[in-house]
Parts: sequence; C-alpha cells; structure tokens
Amino acid sequence: MNRRVFLLGLPGMAGCYRPGLRRLNVLNWTDYVAPETIPDFEREFQVRLRYGTFESAEEMLSRVMSGNSGWDVVFPSNSFVEPMRGMGLLAKLDHSRLKNLHRLEKRFQRPPWDPEMEFVVPYMWGATGIIYQSLLPSAITSWADLWDARLAGKITMLDDPAEVIGACLKKLHLPLNSGDARELELSRNEAKAQKPLLRAYVNDTVRDQLVAGEVMASQAWRPTAVRAMHSAGDKLRFVYPKEGYAIYADNAAILRESQRKELAHSFIDYLCRPAVAARIAEVQFSSTVNEDAQALAPKNVLLYPDAETLSRGEWFAPLSLESQRIRDRIWTEIKAA
Amino acid sequence: MKRIRALFLMPSAVLLGVFFAVPLIIIASYSLLTRGPYGGVAQPWTMENYLRLADPLYFTILLRSLVWAVAATLICIVMGVPLALFISRTGKRRNLYLALIVIPFWTSFLVRTYAWMFLLRDTGLINSGLLWLGVIQEPLPLLYNAFAVMLGLVTGYLPFLVLPVYATLERIDKSLVEAAADLGSRPLSTMFRVVIPLAMPGIRAGGVLVFVSCLGAYLTPDLMGGGKTIMIGNLIQNQFTSSRDWPFGAALSLLMMVAVTLMLLPVLRRKEEGLS
Repeated sequence: MNRRVFLLGLPGMAGCYRPGLRRLNVLNWTDYVAPETIPDFEREFQVRLRYGTFESAEEMLSRVMSGNSGWDVVFPSNSFVEPMRGMGLLAKLDHSRLKNLHRLEKRFQRPPWDPEMEFVVPYMWGATGIIYQSLLPSAITSWADLWDARLAGKITMLDDPAEVIGACLKKLHLPLNSGDARELELSRNEAKAQKPLLRAYVNDTVRDQLVAGEVMASQAWRPTAVRAMHSAGDKLRFVYPKEGYAIYADNAAILRESQRKELAHSFIDYLCRPAVAARIAEVQFSSTVNEDAQALAPKNVLLYPDAETLSRGEWFAPLSLESQRIRDRIWTEIKAA
Repeated sequence: MKRIRALFLMPSAVLLGVFFAVPLIIIASYSLLTRGPYGGVAQPWTMENYLRLADPLYFTILLRSLVWAVAATLICIVMGVPLALFISRTGKRRNLYLALIVIPFWTSFLVRTYAWMFLLRDTGLINSGLLWLGVIQEPLPLLYNAFAVMLGLVTGYLPFLVLPVYATLERIDKSLVEAAADLGSRPLSTMFRVVIPLAMPGIRAGGVLVFVSCLGAYLTPDLMGGGKTIMIGNLIQNQFTSSRDWPFGAALSLLMMVAVTLMLLPVLRRKEEGLS
C-alpha cells in the first residue's frame, strides 16, 4: 500500500513549489461547476486551484482512500459519507468559517446522512426517473411501464446495479436499500423478466439516442434527462415514477489529510453563496440545495418538484457487506442471463 | 562483458520487478484476505474468495469469455493472414499499407469504440445510408448485440495479428516458394504447404496477443454490447468498482491468469520446438 500512497501523492507534490500563490486541491465530479466558478475563486482569494474530476463515487473513494492523496476538498455522494467517516478520511467542519449554511433548504440543513453537518455540506441533489418520448400513445408514469412488451427493444436501463435493482425493488413497492435476501431475489426475477425487452444497459450515452428518437423510454439520472430535454425540446418528457424513486445528493467535504483547511472552508463557503450556486445549477441543469440560490436560478418544475413528488423519493443509503455481496451475485446473474 | 550485460538488463529488470512482479504479489495476497468494511482489504487471511469461485455462475462466465476470445482470434486469423500476405507482396506501397494498419492505434481504444457506435446506431451512418438508398425500410439492429461485440473485438485487435504475421512473412526466403513452383506445386498448394507453415510462428504469436486481449476485454461488451453480456473482464471490473470487493476481484483475476496460462502452454511449447 505504501508504494501506491507514494505514487498517488506525486502529482500533488509536483505543484507545491510554485512560489507566491497559495494552493488548493479540489476533486469534484465532472460537469459540476460553471466555467467561471474556479477562475473567480482564484482571483478573489489569490490562490491557484488544482481541479481534478472523477466519474463515479467509487473512483473518488479509491483515489482518496490512502489518506495521503494530496486533495483537500472532495464531493462524496450521500451514501459514501458514512463509509468515509468510518475510514477516518473526513475532517470536522468548522461552522464559524461557513457563513452561508443558513441559506440551504431546511431539509438539507439536517441531512439524514450527517444531521449536524459535522463533516459534509450538501451541494446538489439528483434523482433517478424515467425519460420517454412524448409521442408514445400513453404517458409513462411508473416503473412497471418499462416492462411493457409493446416497447420491446426500445427501452434502456442504467448500467448500474444499485439503480437497476433499486428500480425493480420500487416496482415491487419494496425499500430501495433492501438487504433482505428474499426481496432481492424477487427484484432479480423482475430484472431477468425485463432483460429481453431491453435495448441496452446504458448510462449517459443514452442522451443522443433519446434525442434522435432511437429509444422510447429510459431509466435515467435526472441531469442526463434534463440535458436531453434541453436539446430535444417537447419531444421528451421526464417522470418521477409513481411507485417511488431513488434520490441522491452530493456533498462538499474536507479531507482529514488536508493541510489547507482554512482555504478549503473558504471554498466551500464560496460555493454556498447564492449567486455562485445559482450559476452552477443553471449551467449544469442540476438542483441546488441552496434555497436562496433557487430564487435566483431559472424556475424549473422538473428540478424543483412539488412536495407530493418529493415525498416519494427515497435516499440511497450505505449497504451492509452481506447485502452488497448478494446484490453483486444478483447483478452478475442478471447480466449473464 | 558480463558486467556490461547486467548493466543493460538493469532497467528492464527493475521495471518488470517493480511494476509486474510486485503488483502480482499484491494481487495474490489480496485474494487471500477478507473484504474491508468499506472496501479495501482486511485481516484475517482466508480461502473464502476461492471457494466462491466454485459457483457455476462464474464458471459459465469464464467459459463464455473463452469461447468469445477463441472465436474472435479465429476470425482475426482468417482475415489477418491474407491481409498480411497481401501487404508483404505489394512492393512499393507496403509502407503505406502498414501505416494504414497502425493509424487507428494513434487514437484511444475508447474513441474508436465510440466511432463504431456512431456508425452502427439506428440513426448512424450505415443505417441512414441504407434507408436513404431504399435498401431497407427499418433500421437494422447493428448495435447492442453479439454481432457488435464481435465486430468491436475483431477490429480492435486485428492489427495485433497482422503485424507479427507480416514480420514472419517478410523473412521467408522467396527461393523456397520458387522451389515449390519448380517442383510442380500449384500456387494454392504452395500457400498451404510452404508459406503458411513457415508463417506459423507469427500466426501463433499474433493469435496469442489477440486472444489474451479479447479475453480481458470489458469496454467492448459494455459499450458495443450495451452491457447485456458479461465477460470475465466486466466481472472483475465490477468487483473493484460497484461491489468494492477487492479480494474476490483479485481471486477472479488470478483464476483468469491461470486459465490463460493453461490454455497457452501447448501453443507456447510448440513454438519453441518450431524455432529449434
């Protein structure tokens, strides 16, 4: 492990010797800031910011797991907060340095994964739903509609075990994070029954195919869906399925290893400024957790649904070892079917 | 002299020692550890990861991957050997053709795969072209099936076969071919009884390269196959990403290495005989 730690640390060291400007190292999801977010911060705080990106929470975790990664600020998803705390990777936040926390929506000021915001500040939230062609004779409203044989060959699901198994569980009105072997078996049967109808298990690349009209209905992450709708206009619609759906939130956190905690707090506080958060949400078609920013961002009922719709969402939660193993076995079985 | 030899061997010895042997030892030891509560590995030592391999599900996937890799290799041989022959006999334009074979390697494998996806989609170049010409009324299902996966594997790894075969064909003494003709052998018979046997070392080497690459493939089944098939490469990848089960992933990797070695042993041994 030591060798790896050393090698992973090298890129961080490479930049350390530039004299003058302070540095801050931020590791965020791709497509998660506005073009001017970083330059504006650098100018105002007289720092050089090294901005790295990751494509999945697993990738982020494996990059910072060593505890000597060279990053200061990272953006874990809600279900990764507890594991990262458990591994001792996260630093306690100093609320006296975070002046903008009161601007968050009330429900995000006490997030279930860290009720006191001891370690993380919620940033953006998202959901998994269904995007479909509005020309379909009957509107899609539920997960069960994705088992409709009339759409055979024109349906896609996400290529992600938690999402596919989650949708099957929701179709059966079971809890999203179920670890129960019997319930998981039932969801496996649903997935295997659905597979012959599927065009593919595919993530972001489904966007073009929806816009081009090749695919009729897809399980999709909301940012993918909203982007597709932005290019295709009224041709596409997004629905929060009636049986319930998965919601997730990404959070800003400071790594315990960070030597630049003061600056890291300034960066997180900067992201919580309404104007900054609103601009990011607007550019990236995502939902900010910042209530004051929501007032500034363009109104969009998809990104900020009503209370009834919100109440059907269920947060992804960390899974037990045992349940993760059952799920992996099931996912492999679905894929091999 | 010996000291000089040692000096020149040092860099590759260090490189292989550090970046090949050490990771291999790490993989072997991870495969005997327990999965950590949040990913990673933890004590105690266990054989459990290997016992899990007894599940027929994993055996089926390994077997399927082997079949796919063998099929892709055979297709590459059938297509690649004539191509290498053609290039080796074209005189002046030879370098041009070789460059054309190598050029795709200047772009990343991922980019090439996406290019194929753009060609094969329902609204891709091939389908829209055929629709426009009136050859078909409905788009052909070219993407997201076994055909697409095989196409991706073959086009992705064909150059691995063509280049070594070309290299051996280049070295064949032309007078042997002439001698065969002088002795009354027809061209086709010369091809199968003289040229191809002489090119066997190249075909074997290229075949092994294609086979091993195809067996470990995971991007192609995911992107071209639409994630509907699972090969051993995807199974291993899942253990290190979504499942965060490194020890099981390590055990699967070792199983694959052993399977490959066993399969290639006869091929490699014959090659030694051929050279002696």
